[in-house]
Amino acid sequence: MNLARLSLAYLRARPLNTALNVLLLALGAGTIALLMLAAEQLEERMGRDARGIDLVVGAKGSPMQLILSTVFHLDAPTGNVPLAETRKVAEHRAVAQAIPLALGDSFRGFRIAGTTHDYIAHYGGRLAAGRLWDEPMEAVLGAEVARATGLGVGGRFVGVHGFGEGGEEHGDFPYQVVGVLAPTGTVLDRLVLCSVESVWFVHTSPDKSEDPRSTLASLREDEQEITALLIRYATPIAAATLPRWINASGALQAASPAHESARLFRMIGVGVEVLGAFALVLVAAAGLSIYIALYNAMEERRYDLAVMRMLGATPGRLVRLVLLEALVLAVVGALVGLALGHLAAEAVGALLAAANQPAVSGRYWLAAELWIVALASAVGLAAGVLPAWRAYRTDIAATLSQT
Amino acid sequence: MIRVEGLRHRYGAATVLALEAWEVPAGAHCLVLGASGSGKTTLLGILAALLRPSAGRVEVAGTDLARLAGPAADRFRGRHIGFVPQKLHLIGSLTVEENLVLAQFMADLPQDRARAREVLAAVGLDRRLAARPGELSHGQAQRVAVARAVVNRPQLLLADEPTSNLDDAHCTLALDLLESQARACGATLVIATHDQRARRRFAARLELPAPAAEA
Repeated sequence: MNLARLSLAYLRARPLNTALNVLLLALGAGTIALLMLAAEQLEERMGRDARGIDLVVGAKGSPMQLILSTVFHLDAPTGNVPLAETRKVAEHRAVAQAIPLALGDSFRGFRIAGTTHDYIAHYGGRLAAGRLWDEPMEAVLGAEVARATGLGVGGRFVGVHGFGEGGEEHGDFPYQVVGVLAPTGTVLDRLVLCSVESVWFVHTSPDKSEDPRSTLASLREDEQEITALLIRYATPIAAATLPRWINASGALQAASPAHESARLFRMIGVGVEVLGAFALVLVAAAGLSIYIALYNAMEERRYDLAVMRMLGATPGRLVRLVLLEALVLAVVGALVGLALGHLAAEAVGALLAAANQPAVSGRYWLAAELWIVALASAVGLAAGVLPAWRAYRTDIAATLSQT
Repeated sequence: MIRVEGLRHRYGAATVLALEAWEVPAGAHCLVLGASGSGKTTLLGILAALLRPSAGRVEVAGTDLARLAGPAADRFRGRHIGFVPQKLHLIGSLTVEENLVLAQFMADLPQDRARAREVLAAVGLDRRLAARPGELSHGQAQRVAVARAVVNRPQLLLADEPTSNLDDAHCTLALDLLESQARACGATLVIATHDQRARRRFAARLELPAPAAEA
């Protein structure tokens, strides 16, 4: 016998009440945990996707759309720009590296990105099988694409115009898979990669010949378009001058991934805060419920408390007993909540994965989750204070002689 | 064992108990008789260090109760006093055996399940160790309450109206139980009752006068 076992005996004696309070607290704690997990993982994932890209240059339009479509591959692109226009940016002396991206088609919901081998190197991609592309219409699959479609080296597939299901098929021009990448945990996993020329070839006039080389050789300069250039600065000073220079000159737009991501999180942040406030209300309601449950329990239990005093218990021991009971409820509620939060994150992750979106995992733990346990414990203890004070003040002689 | 001198206890302006002198030798079995409102329960509460008298000197087992403050009173009560309240008040969330272990725990004594079982066997309840108090008859519950009161081998065993609402046969059984258990642990026994049936059994009696309005 000790105070913990006594507390548990009392909690077990009221199973419905106990379960209800645990559940109420778990819902609040679980919501907070889910929000923390989702926000943290999305932010980390987006940070990884945007790392090393200082500037994106593409067609005029919404800067956020440009970033979303070319860095995170989430939105539709703002349009294409002539390759010749971008050349003067790529060759600017403040630019250390400029990686072209040509978007427009997809394969089973995964985007086909025409680019250079530098793009794979930028994300630290390594081949799991095969080789990188050399010729037009050769493609390399990201790890997630290969897993989801079951295609491997030597496989053939045709792209679909646009990014949704049911677009027009480019049926006459199949790609051949020559390589599959190992998982990187970045956007690379969800892309089909090929040369920029492959994308051009698929989209040129329908009277092209079967041989990509001769078709591409006859391509007019104004038919050579890309969606964006991903730029790494040669010097930090470039951030002050290069975007302004690009935005002032003609058809191009420059957007900063860091700036647009921050703007995006500020916008999402309001929603996260509203949800977070709602979760705190749940936790507060759970605290109130524990308080009411304990207060009523003390009413039922004033004889028990008087008996414990009769048996030699000090008032302090009764206070500890009541507080411990509240604390056990709170900690169990918080732990169940964390489990629920992680299960929910895993479920959300499965939904997102099914939609080819960056995944959220429930098998991901944050040190900050300990704060949820601490918060729940504080709420539980606060809820137990008044009932404990009541136990402290029990008039034993009067209670025991009541008939 | 018990020595009382000039005891007065007041609730507000009303004196509910006045006892000039009373002594009970160690090991004696004594009856406190009185009508309801005569202060029997108050006297038991004072002897158990649950209540502090308004005036007078009370000595139990060689300890001047007035000198016990706060936790010391709780400790004294847990170690030296066994109390059987009228309403028994067993803990419903615990088993019969756990109710006895609780008494050891609350008195800060070593938890000795063998001792708890021994006492329960002595009151004939060795087959109901795992039962909950709610499953017991009144007679069984009373035996558990007595066992709980003596499990720590108290020097003074107090019982408040142990025979109320009992028929003659059970009245005798209840008093037998208290006397045998008090004897078994060498405790002094004080029973507060208004039940005249108990009168015959005890030579040592304290009669408290019916409450009188203060002049």
